Amino acid sequence: MARARKVFFRRRKVCKFCADKIDYIDYKDVKLLQQFIPERSKILPRRISGTCANHQRPLQQAIKRARHLALIPFTTD
Amino acid sequence: MRTYELMFVADPRVSDEDVVAMTQDYKNMITAGGSQITGEESWGRRKLAYPINKVNEGKYVLLYISSESGKTALPEVEHRMRQNDRILRYLTVRTDEDLKRAARRPAKSGGASSEDRERHDRMGDDGEPEEEV
Repeated sequence: MARARKVFFRRRKVCKFCADKIDYIDYKDVKLLQQFIPERSKILPRRISGTCANHQRPLQQAIKRARHLALIPFTTD
Repeated sequence: MRTYELMFVADPRVSDEDVVAMTQDYKNMITAGGSQITGEESWGRRKLAYPINKVNEGKYVLLYISSESGKTALPEVEHRMRQNDRILRYLTVRTDEDLKRAARRPAKSGGASSEDRERHDRMGDDGEPEEEV
């Protein structure tokens, strides 16, 4: 009985880019990138966002490019 | 064939005409170097995510470039931009390989519509041009 209670459902995370079929992550797409930079403007880790490794890599690149062009912040103080 | 995107952020104190003239200058350099300008976008005045050289806004210009031979004048253009203090930031990205890879993936939902959506979404919440100096 007690053991059964331990089973709870965790929402399965899916990679946004796989789900939405976004293959080219554009550094100019600020609105998209902003979903992956929470308050402190750090890049949201895969473990939280559920992004697959194949998409996290170009995402990271895109965020860094956007930061360089001051489209999104490095930090928020 | 190689394709590139060249984006730069000009100082907002530079007049629009000067930005256009500057852009034309770079475009001439690029075409003289044997590449084509396939597209141009001007985002106009946009708030920067963080101040650069104590400036809070910038004028964004984006050029799409394609080169048949793979030889371009981009190194010279970048060199000029680096020395131009009216340019806050620039970035050149080679896009053909990534776009080709993306196109190879199956089940891409209708090309035109997704492109429209992208253009529409691109400007974030602070995408609105602001009038204050």
